[in-house]
Amino acid sequence: MATVTFERVTKRFSQDSPLAVTDFSLEIPDKEFLVLVGPSGSGKSTVLRLLAGLEEITEGKIFIGERLVNNIAAKDRDIAMVFQSYAPYPHMSVYDNLAFGLSLRNVAKEEIRGRVEDAAQILGIKELLKRKPRALSGGQRQRVALGRAIVRDPAVFLLDEPLSNLDAKLRVQTRAEISKLHQRLGTTFMYVTHDQVEAMTMATRIAVLDRGLLQQVGTPQELYERPRNIFVAGFIGSPAMNFFDASVNGSGGGMELETKQFTVPFPDKRKKELAPYIGKTVVLGIRPENIHDREFQPGGLRAGYVKATVDVTEMMGNEAILYLLVDDKQFLARVDPRTRARPGQPLELALDLDAMHAFDGETQLAIGG
Amino acid sequence: MARREPSTAGEAAAGAAPRAARLGEALNRLARRLPLHVSVIGLAAIWSIPTIALLVSSFRDPGLVVTSGWWNAVKDPFEFTFGNYETVLERQGMARSFVNSLIITVPSTMLVILVAAMAAYAFAWMKFPFRNALFLVVVGLLVVPLQMTLIPVLQLYVNLNDWFGFLGNDMPLLGGRLFGTNSYAGIWAAHTAFGLPFAVYLLRNFFGGLPRDLFESAYLDGASDLRVFFRIVLPLSMPAIAALAIFQFLWVWNDLLIALILLGDPDRAPMTLTITNLVSSFGTAYQLLTAAAFISMALPLLVFFALQRYFVQGILAGAVKG
Repeated sequence: MATVTFERVTKRFSQDSPLAVTDFSLEIPDKEFLVLVGPSGSGKSTVLRLLAGLEEITEGKIFIGERLVNNIAAKDRDIAMVFQSYAPYPHMSVYDNLAFGLSLRNVAKEEIRGRVEDAAQILGIKELLKRKPRALSGGQRQRVALGRAIVRDPAVFLLDEPLSNLDAKLRVQTRAEISKLHQRLGTTFMYVTHDQVEAMTMATRIAVLDRGLLQQVGTPQELYERPRNIFVAGFIGSPAMNFFDASVNGSGGGMELETKQFTVPFPDKRKKELAPYIGKTVVLGIRPENIHDREFQPGGLRAGYVKATVDVTEMMGNEAILYLLVDDKQFLARVDPRTRARPGQPLELALDLDAMHAFDGETQLAIGG
Repeated sequence: MARREPSTAGEAAAGAAPRAARLGEALNRLARRLPLHVSVIGLAAIWSIPTIALLVSSFRDPGLVVTSGWWNAVKDPFEFTFGNYETVLERQGMARSFVNSLIITVPSTMLVILVAAMAAYAFAWMKFPFRNALFLVVVGLLVVPLQMTLIPVLQLYVNLNDWFGFLGNDMPLLGGRLFGTNSYAGIWAAHTAFGLPFAVYLLRNFFGGLPRDLFESAYLDGASDLRVFFRIVLPLSMPAIAALAIFQFLWVWNDLLIALILLGDPDRAPMTLTITNLVSSFGTAYQLLTAAAFISMALPLLVFFALQRYFVQGILAGAVKG
């Protein structure tokens, strides 16, 4: 049970290499499920390894609870970690794998047995305890890795892309199980992934990293609705948000956003924020789910209309993903499955003006928001 | 890792009808591989001839050995004798030498493995200053010919004789002096030192190929370096260690040079040394030489056949990943 605090943590691997993590500050309250998400090379695993004590901190401080852990060895930080490769000890049975950490801490034999069996019970691997890791499937190995962490009853639970070696179906299933496990254990979880779907589905809060810099921290909903910059806007949500370069035109009451491809008026509530940008370029962002087939647009929508050519259609049953072209600019829409869009045919689309995002073209930061 | 599925279901379904076809296929495959088999067996036979000659000669009567070639042994007079073995074991001291060889070889092998494995672990997984430079020095030592070092080592040992002189010349368990020339401890140290560079090099590369996650996982589980070494690294490295043990065992067992220089005393001489002495005193008594030579080969052959699986595995294991 512990809060984890990063205070201006910086990591440089060698003298002349760029910073792997820059000025990273974050407080993770007790019992939170924090997901660190970012593309590969963004430094998310490094942050996790700094907390675990597997890498040395170049600058800054890390606290677990009240305790400064910069100079505390990995094994004394009361942390358990699940590795991407699961890293089961290949020569030990599942039971010994689970018991290893406890036996090193001089826990009594009887108690070890109890805790291992409890963990095996929780994870449904009781009948596998006598097997060696090589006789297990990927999903079972993954459970062993989780079990090894559970028996330790650590203050913080670290998971480094634990699902990326599982097939798609098992991944979805295990995702839910890890969420359940978090609720059951009531421990602080820190989870690293490059998959924003995992992040959205499991996290209490998400921290988005890019090139070693923390971009935004917030609940999944906050990140989805109010991304702080273009990177977060493009990273969170699937399919990704569409971006258009646009200039802000107009004066007085009639302001509009003009892109190369189309021109839309913009909503009254955003006018104030955008006023300073009149005559300048901004980036307009709109999510595929906020673009509708005009024929099936929801009632009461305040929309701007665009004519586009349908390039590809993906029918999903409950929805349709359209790849659309205006001039040479491609964008995606997620529309009602009843759509009559056919590849090569023109289609009129309704852009939900209230759901539009605008970003400063230079700083890449959200305007207003 | 891919798992092999038993294919019994498929084979059962094949039934009797295609049996002829399968036989044809098998014959075809055999025909295609025949040249390969012939040449492999041929090579093996050629390489084995000297050993077979040695074995056959060692059981022949002294009179026959000098008058006819060993291949005549299958013809008349068809007679063999254990006499040669009795002679060399009892009168020429080969029995004692066999024991000496064991006393020299077993500790020399175990010491190398213990020291090299610990050093290799440190070079592969522990962080300390000048790690890579030190490792380079160790690998560089592989280049130094053993012969170059004999004189300095001998000088050092002679000096050590003086320093340890006050202990006398009959330490019971160590077979003479505590250290220096004509002491078992001295020759153990020499063999260990000469064996270490290669051993460290081989094991470091093997240890380095073990997945990092395993070590980190063990550290987080609370294991110290020593625990990781004994509980994780050693069990997982048995193939490499077994291969190294075989190599080192054979080197020491077959060594003549170091024993000749550092261990002149016939009471402590290994078999190689005793055989050399046989050659000089019974230059023409081939029946004795062959018997003695075969005795000295017997144990390595046994070791090799017992551990050959590791032998092949270990060579590959060391080479694949570095």
